[in-house]
Amino acid sequence: MSRSLLLSILTYSLLLTGIMMVHGEFITLALPLVAYLLIGYLQASENTRLEATRHLSLERAAPGQDVDVTVTVTNLGSSLEELLLEDMLPAGLTVRSGQSRHLLRLASGGSYTFAYTVAGPRGAYAFEGLETQVNDHLALIRSKVRVEAKGRLFILPPLTRVRNVVIRPRRTRVYAGTIPARAGGSGTEFFGVREYQPGDPPHSINWRASARYSEALYANEYQQERVADVGIVLDGRVKVNEFAHGHSIFEYSVQAAASIADALLNQGNRVGLLLYATYLGWTFPGYGKLQRERILHALANAKTGESQVFSDIEYIPTQLFPPESQIVFVSPLMEDDLRPLIRLRAQGYDVLVVSPDPVKFELSYLPASSHDVELAGRVLRMERLVLLQRLQRANIHVIDWDVKEPFDLVVRRRLSRTPVWLRRLGR
Amino acid sequence: MTLIALILSIIFGTASLAMGYRQAGVSDYSIWFLLLAVLWLVAHFRKYDWFSSVALLIIVVAAAYGVWREFPTVWMLLGAVGGLLGWDLSDFARRLSYAAPMDDTREMERRHLERVGIVAALGVGLALLSLYIHINRLAFEVAVGLLLLAVLGLTRLVIGLRKY
Repeated sequence: MSRSLLLSILTYSLLLTGIMMVHGEFITLALPLVAYLLIGYLQASENTRLEATRHLSLERAAPGQDVDVTVTVTNLGSSLEELLLEDMLPAGLTVRSGQSRHLLRLASGGSYTFAYTVAGPRGAYAFEGLETQVNDHLALIRSKVRVEAKGRLFILPPLTRVRNVVIRPRRTRVYAGTIPARAGGSGTEFFGVREYQPGDPPHSINWRASARYSEALYANEYQQERVADVGIVLDGRVKVNEFAHGHSIFEYSVQAAASIADALLNQGNRVGLLLYATYLGWTFPGYGKLQRERILHALANAKTGESQVFSDIEYIPTQLFPPESQIVFVSPLMEDDLRPLIRLRAQGYDVLVVSPDPVKFELSYLPASSHDVELAGRVLRMERLVLLQRLQRANIHVIDWDVKEPFDLVVRRRLSRTPVWLRRLGR
Repeated sequence: MTLIALILSIIFGTASLAMGYRQAGVSDYSIWFLLLAVLWLVAHFRKYDWFSSVALLIIVVAAAYGVWREFPTVWMLLGAVGGLLGWDLSDFARRLSYAAPMDDTREMERRHLERVGIVAALGVGLALLSLYIHINRLAFEVAVGLLLLAVLGLTRLVIGLRKY
């Protein structure tokens, strides 16, 4: 019950009792309450007009990084005796220092600035505004006003720089890049020997072949290197990512997807991202830094989800990816994923599976001394090993990532291309 | 500052009622008022914010009962004023607890206590005045005016009640 209502009821009860019983002293008793009510109503603020602006020290931050939020509130209405300001924090962010709630008196035309520091996990956070409560002198009339002060903060997944990610899709695009295009032309990798054509650079003449077949000159041909279409599929299904006691391996999948996307975009490829969870989150393919921002923003928003439609990966919409392009599937994997992945491979896609190891991840927080856990761990490890081997036998490249190891190290070990000078040395 | 004023108001209100009842020879009730004061303070420190409204209700009803039983009106009046102040300051203390450590609440407290003090003094002054000024005959126009004012007030009250 509001304060003014309670006081009004008491006041009128006393007054009416006094009138009915013709007893003036009841009215005497009501007079202090009447005075309180009258003064409270008379001094109530006439109009409340507040305006707020927000400034964030960073708009893109790393998980756990401190971001300063500065809010300035200006009173464009009448003087406010008691103003309670509370900045509505997006769920997930926590205040590290300072306060997001303040109580103050704000004169007409005056402004008040406060700052605090927030940090949080990966995500896209939208600041909407402030909840304000305006009280008159005696707090009889309270009004709640929502003041808009928008702001956006992206806490992006940690990006591990990965170099020289080797992919070999069957089909490439026409632009020059770093991916061997299975076609002769200019490049660095030896591709074959053909008859010398006028216009070929003299240094391309293969003198040994020309000497052997004296009727013509022969020239070396190199493998063209071009950019490719890459579709990264991030598996966000709850059943493969979430474990008991709130543990989730999804953050590692996101980290891997971000790092792979960054590396492939740096190589000049056209990269798109598909989040496969409650719904299909599709980031249209593109090139360069802008696309990297788009993908990182999509990854910042990525959440695990459950859907009956997308419970199996056989519903990956392959029409989103150009035929014979590269698909990078980032998932902890489960046994049912084998067939759909082999089907993708059979359709002509070059498939690379990046799989954070869920067995080692789960075992890392379970009691190591337990015999049952150890036995279950061994069984699961064997099952996973079989699954990965079957994938490899289907000519699907697999990166089995023990999440305790840095991702870039694992990728370097499994995917890096040996520099030309080392290959020439035969290593 | 507010806390001291709150404790003093609660003690003042309940003690006034206890004194009034005692002067009227109903000493048994006095202990209940002291108990109410203790409960109110405990409720405040335990942050049972609803209790101050209940306490005000009890104090006003007790004062009205005292007036009806023709106990000393001044004590009843002072009891009601003490209850009103305690109720106001309980809520003010609750609102102050929302302030950040760096907020300048001292100035706010000073201004609020000043204002509440003025309201209480005005209320008591008017009430005391009404105790000594008696109008035996009221002009018809004045009576109609007062009646209209009462109807207007009741209407506002009913409108307020319909909102809840």
